[in-house]
Amino acid sequence: MKWLKKIKGMERYDRITNIIVLILALLSLFPVYWLITNSFKTSADIYKMPPDVLPKSLYLGHFKELFKNQPALKWTFNSFFVSVVTTTLSVILSSAAAYAFAKLHFKGKKILFSLFIASLMVPKETFIVPLFKIVVAFDWVDTYQSMIIPNLAMCFGVFMLKSFFESIPDSIRESAKLDGASEWYIFWKLMLPIAKPGIGALFILNFVTFWNDYLWQLLMARSKGMSTLTVGVAGLMQEINPNIGLRVAGAAVAALPMIIIFIVFQKYFTKGIAAGAVKE
Amino acid sequence: MKEGNKRKQVLGELKSSLTGYLFVGPQLILFILFIVYPVLEGFKMSLYRQTYTEDIFVGLENYKELFADPVFIKSVFNTIIFVVAIVFGLFVATTVYDKSAKYISFIRGSFYLPVMVSMVVMSMIWNFLLNPANGLISYLLGNVGVDDVNLLGSSTWVMPTIIFVTFVGNVGQSIILYIASMIGIPEDYFEAAEIDGATRWQRMTKILIPLVRPTTLYLVVINIIAVLKIFVVIQLLTGGGPNNSSVTMMYYLYQNAFIYNNTGVAAAVGVLMFVVALLLSIPQFKAFGNKK
Repeated sequence: MKWLKKIKGMERYDRITNIIVLILALLSLFPVYWLITNSFKTSADIYKMPPDVLPKSLYLGHFKELFKNQPALKWTFNSFFVSVVTTTLSVILSSAAAYAFAKLHFKGKKILFSLFIASLMVPKETFIVPLFKIVVAFDWVDTYQSMIIPNLAMCFGVFMLKSFFESIPDSIRESAKLDGASEWYIFWKLMLPIAKPGIGALFILNFVTFWNDYLWQLLMARSKGMSTLTVGVAGLMQEINPNIGLRVAGAAVAALPMIIIFIVFQKYFTKGIAAGAVKE
Repeated sequence: MKEGNKRKQVLGELKSSLTGYLFVGPQLILFILFIVYPVLEGFKMSLYRQTYTEDIFVGLENYKELFADPVFIKSVFNTIIFVVAIVFGLFVATTVYDKSAKYISFIRGSFYLPVMVSMVVMSMIWNFLLNPANGLISYLLGNVGVDDVNLLGSSTWVMPTIIFVTFVGNVGQSIILYIASMIGIPEDYFEAAEIDGATRWQRMTKILIPLVRPTTLYLVVINIIAVLKIFVVIQLLTGGGPNNSSVTMMYYLYQNAFIYNNTGVAAAVGVLMFVVALLLSIPQFKAFGNKK
């Protein structure tokens, strides 16, 4: 609470704005706080007005129901499986491409890289209709490949890691070459380990993106069992018999891994976002 | 002798090109298959009308139909209103940039948590909070004398409410980027200004805000683009209602493509969004290009 004391010693303008920002920050935490506390309340307590600030008991009934009567375990598995596989493949593919763009010389390199960058600015949603058509033509709907492979085309990682590889001095590569190392060996054994911080940040960022992906997974998951958590839980909203406790618990389960990741990896994470985005 | 050298050089170039392509290849194939091709196909689809038996070429009919549809026009406007997050991001960042690391990371984390938990979860939470029968917000408003509040059911209030919800769920992004670029500014600038007796306000408007201009540019672009694709909130909170007053472009696209089976019109919306996104990002590309 040292920083609270500090607020007292500021210029007046500074003090007022800081108090406003602090209050807004707490308000911004409120929805998530509300979600977590309500997921441990009984339905009657959720409806109670004025609400209890903290749940009176740690009621786990909604979670039990969620995992027993809904395929929530399958959803969780799907979310983890799809996110981990997509992230891993995407990190490997994009680091190879990023390495080539940063360190190798080949014809058409500049044009290709600008094309990749251009695609970063255009959301996938704009061509989701033809994309859907392609996946239907492949007969991939309701399969894991449909949830994974099209997402690998995303070039964000190429862009982010390129600058990491560029910052590695050329002398390392040259001396390895003199020793007769192959390009693949240099990439795999020398460059990747050095670029680890960048790769870690990319991994986390990608994982979050794919975990929270909604529209595409919604279109791909035809059967309830193939849904990911976000899709399955959002589906609870559209069910006819509203069971508020079940919905709150579902939303909490979908949110929890992200909250944990954010708390554990915050540093990595903010660095990664900054590195990926503000390379002006 | 010279000939041989030249040949060697050409061969060497070929070889290094080949290595390059081996590294880029897998990503490139996916890129062509799942980005380049669908984009081109999208342009084509927007010129056709799909029936059960065949695709009929209709030229710009889909676009004409689009602009004749009041719901689409409405969706464009609804999309434009959304751009508010940048100013707020700038406000928060200028307020905290010179504070202790702990304080900054607390502020940053608080605003970023809603981004982490995704729009799906945020939309669900707001759905609970805004429920007219038993939501917390209706209760609080009822306590100050505003009865029968149904923010999402009123065609006047639905958009401001949606904007607010989207804002809370996204503003953390702008704040993180601004804070990151402000922390990167060398401290001597501020020390020098302080010695010259500059007030905080002057330091902000004369040093801080001009120096983060590239970030501002970037944020303007990504925020407008993010707004183009707003979908989840609409699907989970209003379904476009009441009376289509909360239809966004993306929701319009979704309805046409996957509910009404109007793929031609949906593709046309996609093409328009694509063109807008591309035009917006041209200044951004220029900035990228100048650096390298």
